[in-house]
Amino acid sequence: MGKFFRTIFLVDLFQGLWVTFRNQNPKNIYTEQYPAERPKVAERYRGAPRLNINPDNGETLCIACNLCALACPENLIVVGSERNEQTRRKELTTFTYDLSRCMFCGLCEDACPVDALELTQDFELASYTREGWIWDRQMLEEGPKPTPYKC
Amino acid sequence: MPETTFLDSTELVLNMGPQHPSTHGVLRVILKLDGEKVIGTECVIGYLHRGVEKIGENRTYQQFAPYVDRMDYVAAVSNGLGYCLAVEKLLNIEAPPRAQVTRVILTELNRIASHLLWLGTHALDIGAITPVFYCFREREEVLKIFENYCGARLTTHAFRVGGLQYELYDGFEQQVKAFCDMFLPKVDEYEELLTNNRIWVARLKGVGILTGDECKEFGVTGPVLRAAGVKWDLRKAQPYSGYEQYDFDVPTGENGDTYDRYIVRMQEMRQSVRIIRQAVDRIPAGPIGKTPKVIKPATGEVYVSIEAPKGELGYFVVSDNSTQPYRMRVRPPSFVNLQALDRMVRGGLVADVVAIIGTLDIVLGEVDR
Amino acid sequence: MADEQNAEGSAPPPASGGVSEPPKQKDAPKPAAAKPPAHAAPKPPPPMAATAWEGELPNQLKERFGDQLTACSSYLGQNFAVVQPEAVIPVLEFLKLEADFDYLVDITAVDYPNRAERFDLVYILYSFRRNERVRIKTMITDAAQPRSAVPVHTGANWLEREVFDMFGIQFAGHPDMRRILLPEEWQGFPLRKEMSIIQQDNRWVRENLGIESGQ
Ligand code: SF4
Ligand code: SF4
Repeated sequence: MGKFFRTIFLVDLFQGLWVTFRNQNPKNIYTEQYPAERPKVAERYRGAPRLNINPDNGETLCIACNLCALACPENLIVVGSERNEQTRRKELTTFTYDLSRCMFCGLCEDACPVDALELTQDFELASYTREGWIWDRQMLEEGPKPTPYKC
Repeated sequence: MPETTFLDSTELVLNMGPQHPSTHGVLRVILKLDGEKVIGTECVIGYLHRGVEKIGENRTYQQFAPYVDRMDYVAAVSNGLGYCLAVEKLLNIEAPPRAQVTRVILTELNRIASHLLWLGTHALDIGAITPVFYCFREREEVLKIFENYCGARLTTHAFRVGGLQYELYDGFEQQVKAFCDMFLPKVDEYEELLTNNRIWVARLKGVGILTGDECKEFGVTGPVLRAAGVKWDLRKAQPYSGYEQYDFDVPTGENGDTYDRYIVRMQEMRQSVRIIRQAVDRIPAGPIGKTPKVIKPATGEVYVSIEAPKGELGYFVVSDNSTQPYRMRVRPPSFVNLQALDRMVRGGLVADVVAIIGTLDIVLGEVDR
Repeated sequence: MADEQNAEGSAPPPASGGVSEPPKQKDAPKPAAAKPPAHAAPKPPPPMAATAWEGELPNQLKERFGDQLTACSSYLGQNFAVVQPEAVIPVLEFLKLEADFDYLVDITAVDYPNRAERFDLVYILYSFRRNERVRIKTMITDAAQPRSAVPVHTGANWLEREVFDMFGIQFAGHPDMRRILLPEEWQGFPLRKEMSIIQQDNRWVRENLGIESGQ
């Protein structure tokens, strides 16, 4: 009997509508207006790679040990180095990073012994060409420069 | 007078997918119909085949870990856990307690995220539009925890063989607890929207019945098996990662129909919250484990499986005493579960096919690997 | 080979087998002392240090299948039985009907191209009542057509199709022996060891996708 009345008075319908109504409060809007307001990503976010520079003397931190290239499952890092005859040390010459194949797993970052390679919080990586995804040393040191959105 | 007239029903072959919104990816089902009735199906899969097993044979043990996230991409943490456990078993090592508890918390959060995605899309298939927004809203909170913890939201690569890579961040416990407190009332809210909703009930009750014996016959596991009344959960049957220390129930259904599977999954989310709450309170101090620099297991083979959100996810790893697996076989729950689709839809209506594909909770990335 | 098995046969699996750091790796557990130094030829890896599997079930199996059962072993606490190819289906049947191994978890294969019997066929079974797993393994040659397990476990259907798809092992008596993940006309079996990871069926790619190669 109760079931009958529940059916004709559409109790289930109003119950559901009441839930929808409770969620109507405009204070609880979750949508992010992305290009206008930039979301804050987590501190550990694994985004665009960066080759860190020693802030004191402007030289790269990378010691060209090639460990990141060996750690990468996708084999997308190529480290070029040259032996400096004066200091008898290897020095970095080129560094290419094929971002189009990167899956941002962070293994290269973990492998780097001097924290030179780092995945940063930059996430705006779009490019018009495939070649634009292959980053060289300069690009890695400076980071991407996305055109800001103007409202 | 010809034998057949236009009123005679002849077999109609209907192609559904691979670009169909309700096949949850790129599943193609060829349906044989007699009017509205389904008299046979054939699944065409493989559109997303990336050869994960072959990749596994050509990568070192550490390097393969990010790839497993890309199989069941809505439950990447579970995939990673299974893989790490398999390699750890092969090495005969165990992660330290702190790492194990953290793994449990993240895996259960991932189970919630996976079930939420299932609920949203399944309800959308049936015609209820609202739940998908609510589910994604709550799933977002889980993904935020993942992002804070390991820096990625979906393909997390959160665990490493031998333990964890990342230490817990400050405020992890509070954030997880806040999520649990916020989440339980939300589950009630979803239930208010759906459980007694007459359209929902009419579309799901008695649809796509798979009995317990049929499940065993096909090897179907996970919520589908439990909804058929078989109380079997690998977390209870063969506990791993210290699941035996937590107090939780294994929800089961009775009829093995789509409605029961819905109820079972809703209950599982509540049980996951229960596990998370217990685990957060007992995160031990100590090391989080260190990945061995070189992983070179002795020759041998192991099969290790875990209870992923979709069912039994197993890894069969053969090692030949080198740094790369000799053979890496993944036993995907979705693939095996999908096999039962034919049995479930046969004799039903064509409109129910959508409901049944939804209720199986398949992820095509895992079916095709 | 034989003395290695004697040396390791009864020992528990090496606990520190793989976790050692590179310098320590040289004196890893293998009993290589008696062998010549391994620089000349690539040394075959030491065999699996499996122990005997004792208990009621292996005894039953031995009694029932006698010679057809090659070994009952256990590695890292996981039990497996190696049987002759023709005994696989009877063993599965026996395990299902009389020992309650009613859930076929997985069927897969492993390719050893340098062995006379090229493939290992692995059946993983689980029993809900006993809460126990076993693996049934058999070795088959390249040309062999093992019997299909579909009459025993319906769920074997897709799993066997996948094995066929990836390894090219034809199962006799299978209701629907076609490729499952790869396209029907695809040539080659990707999980065989002679296939390199970047090798593809370029003819298929050209004809169906209109591009030169899939790479
Ligand atoms: S993030 Fe992963 S895929 Fe990308 S370069 Fe580093 S190791 Fe390679
Ligand atoms: S691992 Fe670090 S230091 Fe070594 S080459 Fe890569 S970026 Fe440079």
